[in-house]
Amino acid sequence: MPQNEVIDELGLDEYKYGFVDEEQHVFRTQPGLNEEVVRQISKQKEEPEWMLNFRLKALEIYESKPMPKWGGDLSTLQETLDEIYFYVRPQDRMEHSWDDVPENIKDTFEKLGIPEAEQKILAGVGAQYESEMVYHSLKQEWEEKGVIFDSIEDGLKNHPELFRKYFGTVIPTADNKFSAMNSAVWSGGSFVYIPPGVELDTPLQAYFRVNQERMGQFERTLIIAGEGSRAHYIEGCTAPVYSTESFHSGVIEIVVEKNAHFRYTTIQNWSNNMYNLVTQRAMVAQGATMEWLDGNLGSKLTMKYPSCYLMGEGAHGNILSIAYAGDGQHQDTGGKIIHAAPNTTSSIVSKSISKGTGRSSYRGLLQVHDGARNAKSNVECDALLIDETARTDTFPYIEIDEKTAHVGHEATVSKVGDEQLFYLMSRGMSEEEAMAMIVRGFIEPIAKELPLEYAVELNRLIELEMEGSVG
Amino acid sequence: MSEKIIEGVTDALNAEAVTAASQGEPEWLATRRAEAWAVYEDTPMPTTRLEEWRYTDLEEKLDLAALALGSAPAIADDPAAYPAEVREAMDADHEASGHLVMVDGHVVHTDIDDSLAAKGVVLSSLKAAVETHPELVQKWLATEAVPATEGKFPALSAALWTDGIFLYVPRGVRLDLPVRVTRYYAEEGVATFSRALIVAETTSQVSYVDEILGAEMEKQSLVSTTVEVVTQDGAQVQYVAVQRMGKGAFYQSHQRTLAYRDSTLDTLNVNLGASVSRVDLNAQLLGPNANSDMLGLYFGDEDQHFDHNTSQDHVSPHANSDLLYKGALDGKSKAVFRGIIRVHPGAQQTDAYQTNRNLLLSEDAVADSLPNLEIAADDVKCSHGATVGQLSEEELFYLQSRGIPKQIAERLVVMGFLGEVLSRLPLGGVVEKVTRAIDEKLHGPALLD
Repeated sequence: MPQNEVIDELGLDEYKYGFVDEEQHVFRTQPGLNEEVVRQISKQKEEPEWMLNFRLKALEIYESKPMPKWGGDLSTLQETLDEIYFYVRPQDRMEHSWDDVPENIKDTFEKLGIPEAEQKILAGVGAQYESEMVYHSLKQEWEEKGVIFDSIEDGLKNHPELFRKYFGTVIPTADNKFSAMNSAVWSGGSFVYIPPGVELDTPLQAYFRVNQERMGQFERTLIIAGEGSRAHYIEGCTAPVYSTESFHSGVIEIVVEKNAHFRYTTIQNWSNNMYNLVTQRAMVAQGATMEWLDGNLGSKLTMKYPSCYLMGEGAHGNILSIAYAGDGQHQDTGGKIIHAAPNTTSSIVSKSISKGTGRSSYRGLLQVHDGARNAKSNVECDALLIDETARTDTFPYIEIDEKTAHVGHEATVSKVGDEQLFYLMSRGMSEEEAMAMIVRGFIEPIAKELPLEYAVELNRLIELEMEGSVG
Repeated sequence: MSEKIIEGVTDALNAEAVTAASQGEPEWLATRRAEAWAVYEDTPMPTTRLEEWRYTDLEEKLDLAALALGSAPAIADDPAAYPAEVREAMDADHEASGHLVMVDGHVVHTDIDDSLAAKGVVLSSLKAAVETHPELVQKWLATEAVPATEGKFPALSAALWTDGIFLYVPRGVRLDLPVRVTRYYAEEGVATFSRALIVAETTSQVSYVDEILGAEMEKQSLVSTTVEVVTQDGAQVQYVAVQRMGKGAFYQSHQRTLAYRDSTLDTLNVNLGASVSRVDLNAQLLGPNANSDMLGLYFGDEDQHFDHNTSQDHVSPHANSDLLYKGALDGKSKAVFRGIIRVHPGAQQTDAYQTNRNLLLSEDAVADSLPNLEIAADDVKCSHGATVGQLSEEELFYLQSRGIPKQIAERLVVMGFLGEVLSRLPLGGVVEKVTRAIDEKLHGPALLD
């Protein structure tokens, strides 16, 4: 059986969640982005004046920055941006119990497997439906521990000092064109605070969904992991299939304080007409660990490079990235690690699969600053090509300004080898079994890191469906 | 309407200079120069906003406006008149099939073994070859290998080159001994443009060693050299450039190799001298079973700046390329390596590898490494790797425990690290010369003696 048929059977290609709910929104801005839109968003959210000013300043910066010429093809993006709605709010109030969630939204979640997760007492389900947090539950024990897991809007309302202390500090507005755009029109996302010393065994989980044609989504998440705390946050996205291009640009800021341990898992499965341009970054303090687990399966074009700024001695950063690019898709993903303190360590492992006319590009930065003595880093990129029309690239930037650094980068590109297939088939496997096993083996180092009982969608796509395809 | 700003046109580098350079030349060449100049005027000066120039800021490193065109007179073709460094370098050479000596842009000497000349081998100044072998020069000079349209510097070179090296090896002729070129640059405050054109016909074989020397300079000079190497079906060429110019020089070399079916085209670029050294090397694999080994070695000290920009273009299926660039950096020196393997659509069964390794010997040294891959075929074997690190404590400890003083042990480890490159292309004389030159840079008693 040819390789591409196996992939078809693995179910990675078909977009299975392309169902559409009837739209029920209360308020939305005019298409396109201008000062009036920004003012309306701020007014709708009843924000303090400093936030309105923050947004307006960001809009100025956004307009002053040119469209990036690197990465993916953004040549027709401006036309898309002129047409999309920058703000839509489906409901006026937050829901606290599952019973209060409207039926059609529930229906959406059900198709995605959220209620199932709920049944397993996954607790803390913060879900984003369109641009607001519409459903939010927080486990009793977390409340007792002082954990805050709110929508970003409530974070601003209820914890103004904490919010203002950290908001926009990890990713400055002017970091890039799309962080500036997000800073101007952000809406929805999570605000998380984990007090010092608190350890959470069950992950915090948010579910994202864009449901309206031509609607941009600009989620903004701010997470503060207090000293010595330990937690895991999971974000996953799906979107219905639409014919016109859509747009998503998030900003995720994470502060990992001294000796804390934080993991952020993203499972991105936007429909194949989506631009997904995300900036996510963590500031990692002394002795702390930050782990990004980044899965990119959907979208038309994703440009996303999770980064760790290792600011304190002994900080550790870890990036695991997996990308699947099917027909017409371009996954331009990777990671950045900045070693700015002594004895910091880091690792990046990237695996990509390109099929059909898909293209996956690894783009990474590894920087060791002068004085970051004994920094150690290792980067590994493996690419698997399934068709002769598929394409893969590797663009690592390694900038070393410190003698005692020890860094390495390695990348390999391969197709599924005839020898590998032959070996497995000579052991009595059918060709498709052999192929499935090889593909599974290829992504296994990352797939095994996923919390199986939580990441419903990725499990389905990568683990369960693969196993189902065998035999 | 405001007038269009043309970048890089100076008191010395301008259309009049192009006309002057064309004096007495055949019309095709004058036309080619004029066309190249038009490209130059249309091409903006590279800035750090360009990916390929991200780490070398020309605005800071090169004062083009301050440069005159070289005007030093040609010296006599007499070893006694050669600069001492040239004599020393030539004395240290082993046997050769032929020699060419170039001083401040003038070819002052050429010789080639009589029996090879009888077989049609040509080693001459490029200027002379325009007269003696017009059809070959017209066919290959700044056409398929490095045309003016390649960029700002290739355009400038194609418009203003004054002389260069022409090496032609006819079908089936094999040279047992290398062809040796020794160049020397001492004139200060000038820009010199030279070219090397090497054509190896079907199943021929030749090794070419280009040693580029120079004096220390108070005023910056730009030494620009464009290298075009062609191996026809089944031919074998080894190209070696050893750059040991004096501080103050800006060495700029744009090289392209065209390897056709069943040919082998290996290159070694050694860069030890000059204040700024920028090498662009593109290897084109144009026929099945073409093979290119691409080796590089650099050793920096003080405030030297090295920028190696390599690319491996697998246009044809079933070809191989293997790149290894290694460097050690002392003082405040900085090295940039940017390499890319491009596997074009349909170039199945490609084997392409790329490795860059850097050794940082001082607190202030910097290494940037960008090993890139662009793969548009699925049945390929490609990998790349890059490392940056310091001397291994274990290796030093091992040597010291054997009674070797720390300073010597360090030098041995550095030589061992860099020696891997030289051992891959051990042309007679080159290994010894490079080893000695690195020894001198390590400021200590020579290990070889």
